[in-house]
Amino acid sequence: MDNIAGQNSGGRVAVNITVLVLVLLWLLPTVGLFVSSFRDRDQISNSGWWLAPMAVDLNFRTRVATDGAREEGGVFVLEGNVFADPALAANFPDGAGVVAAYGTRAVAPTEFVAGEVSELRGGGNLVVNRDGSYRIEAPEALDRGPTLYFEARTPPKFTLANYQTVLFADGMDRAFINTLTVTIPATIIPILIAAFAAYALAWMDFPGRGLLIAAVVGLLVVPLQLALVPLLRLHTDIGIGQSFVGIWLAHTGFGLPLAVYLLRNYMAGLPRDIIESARVDGATDFQIFIRIILPLSFPALASFAIFQFLWTWNDLLVAKVFLPSGADTQVMTVKIADDLLGSRGGDWGILATAAFVSIAVPLAVFFTMQRYLVRGLLAGSVK
Amino acid sequence: MSPVLQGILTIIIGVGGCVGYFYGSNLLLDKVIFPARGANIGRNINRANQVRPWLFLFPAVFALGVYLAYPVVGSFYRSLFDRSGANFIGLGNYVDLFNEGTFRVAVFNNLLWVLVVPALATFFGLLIAQLTDRLRWGNIAKSLIFMPMAISFVGASLIWRFVYSANPDIGIINALRDAMGLAVLDPLQVQFWNNFFLMFILVWIQTGFAMVILSAALRGIPEETIEAAIIDGANPFQVFFKIKVPQIMGTIVVVWTTITILVLKVFDIVYTMTGGNFGTHILPSYMMTYMFRDDGRATAVAFVIMLLVLPVMIWNIRQARAEMR
Amino acid sequence: MKSKFYAGVAALALTAGAAQGQDLIIAPGTDGFNWESFDAFAAAHDFAGETLTITGPWTGADGQMVNNMLAYFAAATGADVRYSGSDSFEQDIVIAVQANSAPNLAVFPQPGLAADMAARGALAPLGAETAQWMVENYAAGQSWVDLGTYAGADGAAEMFGFFYKVDVKSLVWYSPEQFEEAGYDVPETLEDLIALSEQIVADGGTPWCIGLGSGAATGWPATDWVEDMMLRLHAPEVYDAWVSNELAFNSPEVVQAIEMYGQFVRSDGWAQGGPEASATTDFRDSPAGLFQIPPACYMHKQASFIPTFFPEGAEYGADYDFFYFPSSGAGDLGNPVLGAGTVFAITSDSPAARGLIEFFKTPIAHEVWMAQSGFLTPHTGVNLDVFSNESLRAMNEILLNATTFRFDASDLMPGEIGAGAFWTGMVDYTTQGDAQAAADAIQARWQAMR
Repeated sequence: MDNIAGQNSGGRVAVNITVLVLVLLWLLPTVGLFVSSFRDRDQISNSGWWLAPMAVDLNFRTRVATDGAREEGGVFVLEGNVFADPALAANFPDGAGVVAAYGTRAVAPTEFVAGEVSELRGGGNLVVNRDGSYRIEAPEALDRGPTLYFEARTPPKFTLANYQTVLFADGMDRAFINTLTVTIPATIIPILIAAFAAYALAWMDFPGRGLLIAAVVGLLVVPLQLALVPLLRLHTDIGIGQSFVGIWLAHTGFGLPLAVYLLRNYMAGLPRDIIESARVDGATDFQIFIRIILPLSFPALASFAIFQFLWTWNDLLVAKVFLPSGADTQVMTVKIADDLLGSRGGDWGILATAAFVSIAVPLAVFFTMQRYLVRGLLAGSVK
Repeated sequence: MSPVLQGILTIIIGVGGCVGYFYGSNLLLDKVIFPARGANIGRNINRANQVRPWLFLFPAVFALGVYLAYPVVGSFYRSLFDRSGANFIGLGNYVDLFNEGTFRVAVFNNLLWVLVVPALATFFGLLIAQLTDRLRWGNIAKSLIFMPMAISFVGASLIWRFVYSANPDIGIINALRDAMGLAVLDPLQVQFWNNFFLMFILVWIQTGFAMVILSAALRGIPEETIEAAIIDGANPFQVFFKIKVPQIMGTIVVVWTTITILVLKVFDIVYTMTGGNFGTHILPSYMMTYMFRDDGRATAVAFVIMLLVLPVMIWNIRQARAEMR
Repeated sequence: MKSKFYAGVAALALTAGAAQGQDLIIAPGTDGFNWESFDAFAAAHDFAGETLTITGPWTGADGQMVNNMLAYFAAATGADVRYSGSDSFEQDIVIAVQANSAPNLAVFPQPGLAADMAARGALAPLGAETAQWMVENYAAGQSWVDLGTYAGADGAAEMFGFFYKVDVKSLVWYSPEQFEEAGYDVPETLEDLIALSEQIVADGGTPWCIGLGSGAATGWPATDWVEDMMLRLHAPEVYDAWVSNELAFNSPEVVQAIEMYGQFVRSDGWAQGGPEASATTDFRDSPAGLFQIPPACYMHKQASFIPTFFPEGAEYGADYDFFYFPSSGAGDLGNPVLGAGTVFAITSDSPAARGLIEFFKTPIAHEVWMAQSGFLTPHTGVNLDVFSNESLRAMNEILLNATTFRFDASDLMPGEIGAGAFWTGMVDYTTQGDAQAAADAIQARWQAMR
């Protein structure tokens, strides 16, 4: 335990190692996502992300065209280089590589060592050299070139295409602003409302207080799906309809139980004598709340702000129900789900990238808020 | 108007309106309705203090009532009707539920989740909060542990696909098994234990939550109490278990409760990872199979979930009462 | 008339450009397309100033294509057309209807859901005239009318749904190169297909790639297998009885079909990775085995949309091809084809909404999507030459050669069964192998509905 005076250095090392192990354990799955966000769908499906940074031996196919065939002393000769195939340009951008082995059938793509002469099905000889050049000799003109298979080492390949798709999609800037327009009020409004309510529930005496606390805990568990239809109908009836106001109210309502619950518990734990001495000094509840409770509750306010922000930021369901579906009100999660991923859902590379892009802002919020999770606000207050 | 300006304006109006209410209504109460001056000053102050809690509570109670209580009441009423919503069948939906095998499996699994996930997440959260408290790179460590919280559930299920996939070219567990020469197996199809593999995902996500709250609580502990204990010769473990843990017990209860309730709500993990197959249904995912199809059944499941929360509620009310005395 | 029209088109093309923010992808007048039908429609309809909202399941590239098609409607009528696609359409439309905020039209991927909506009174009937038109102008028109006819809120059956865009499901995808290298022939009958599978296993290969994984919808690819087997084992009437549950799900006919599917997925060495891996492999990843070197499998049964998920650069004809999932050589069941389609229904009536349904009766509304991709149509008045590629043409041929066309049963069954119990039942069967138990569970769930 690190914060003990006079501890030995062995303890400190143990703490450091334990934390390091835990962090690595927690990080490992996310690293997979991070690496995958730089790969395309085919790569993700074909090899593990842990192999991504390494050069791997892969099998390729190339179809030989018969255009360049020429006759040479009674045999037809076809020459070329397997790496020149434009279909393979993505893997061998400079049109060069090293062939380890080759074959003429997909079931045995590495039947022959590079440089070894093999017999062609249907007559003739074939050789593929290490540098990729091949030479086919056939007794008769080939009406169709053979398909060659070869094994070659490919360098690791990463792409920024996913990020390009996600970040520079048409209208993504608008969606980003829309998301902020939803999340910022939807974070601040419930905090304000909940802070006042939490103070009343923690420090003011009035009939029905216990019942209200119980109700708040009970409402924590209400599944969101139950509330969607009646609320949208209510919004339509009172004229809010699908709008930003509607979604703020919805997020406020759904976030309140947790906010009130967390804040009340924190505030109830504040030392009684500070508040009572303030009351004795003639401060009103409003003044006590603003001048004493609010500053002292910063850690709790900050932690709730982080969670509410996260929840509204990543929310897809509430946004789809309470916002109209046009491009001018689309938030990022909806944009990604409906415009980028496409029907039947899945481009793993885009999914990975979107997940990664969307944690950037919440992490920034976390870093900012973390400063308020400070120690010592109460130091000296309790004797 | 540019979208940025529009956004900023809406933010100002929304937040400003909220601040305005509290400030304005208090001003109104203190200066206009029950002014703390003149002949009735004493009576006015008393009256103002009787009204004020409700002034503070009003927006919260109103929003909770409209956005949560009203749908709950409506839903309970709905759960007494059949799928068309036209015929009253009393508790018929509940009776049918308890006769169904999958429902019983879901209840059993859910009990497992409720026991395991909050315990593990709180344990790891507390451990990390304590260990990183004075660590030089503590903030970085905390941010990294917190990261899963920030990833959407869809992203999270993709991440764990890279861990659990039965294909050794995609899932790291099977890649390791493959490398060690073991037969490939699908972790999500291992009966009973697959529930735990799914729970790990939620523990992985929620540890960050527990850590943030508990770390704030740990920092709220007055230094004097700890210093006094150290002077008395307490060792680090004694300081932790005898001084710190009792002082943040209230917060531990809060964290435990919140995660328990979350367990009763999160359907996404089971839904996206296994779709409830291989005996992994839990109540929220089971409810989703009825949601928007047979609202009577779906709402009945929702009320069973709310019943499960009763013990937690009662525990919390007791805790709150104890604090107030 | 004609001069009036051209002036109109010019003006409308301008307004449409402004409203849609996109151009018509095929210039009016391009050869092969039926522009007379477009001109006539434009002359007869004017919805300038009206807004038409549509929601549907097409997102991403598909969403772009539907917008491209709707741009012609906007150009012809001056209406402001707003399509929004949603990945969770089934859920969104239910919420929207219940909250009284439904769009003008909804595009249902499953007739079962549309029937549900009709029963709640959420859909407006299309009228006898449209039904009559469809009988006359769609291949097997009456069956399409029947699929779009549901009981309304008052219990009376009327036509509510207009089918537009069809998919063929009875397809097997393979690599012609691999077949040639191994000396395999495309099988003509189901018996040949089974013999070929056995041959591949004997040669040391794996005949099939099967993947049932699809998140919450895991299991649906298996339902297509069972449906195709039903059509190959029993008469279409048995299939219809099964869909309506007149024939119980756990009756011997159905169990036989499930076991027939089981022969492909559960026989030793037939499916890549075995049944356990098949049950969880994502359906989007499962065809990848066809393209590996050496091939991980030789055949993959999936609907016409699957090339979207083939590796980048895979070419029709060279890298992959498909054949009709063959019918049995014995018996007299002909060539049944399993398919699916999307159905347009009016969820909030307006003249423009009616106008769009009218637009779908014109050949041009079909041709502009045929010229893009992924679109098949039973409309008999279209010019098949406008298909953008050979594979679509070939698929349409399968559709035309069908002696029986049946709609995807799981899309017709109630949601709890077709998009629930049937899926999970097939996953259970795939991993555990007890067809009777799986069928019993599904039937029990069906009976528990009320």
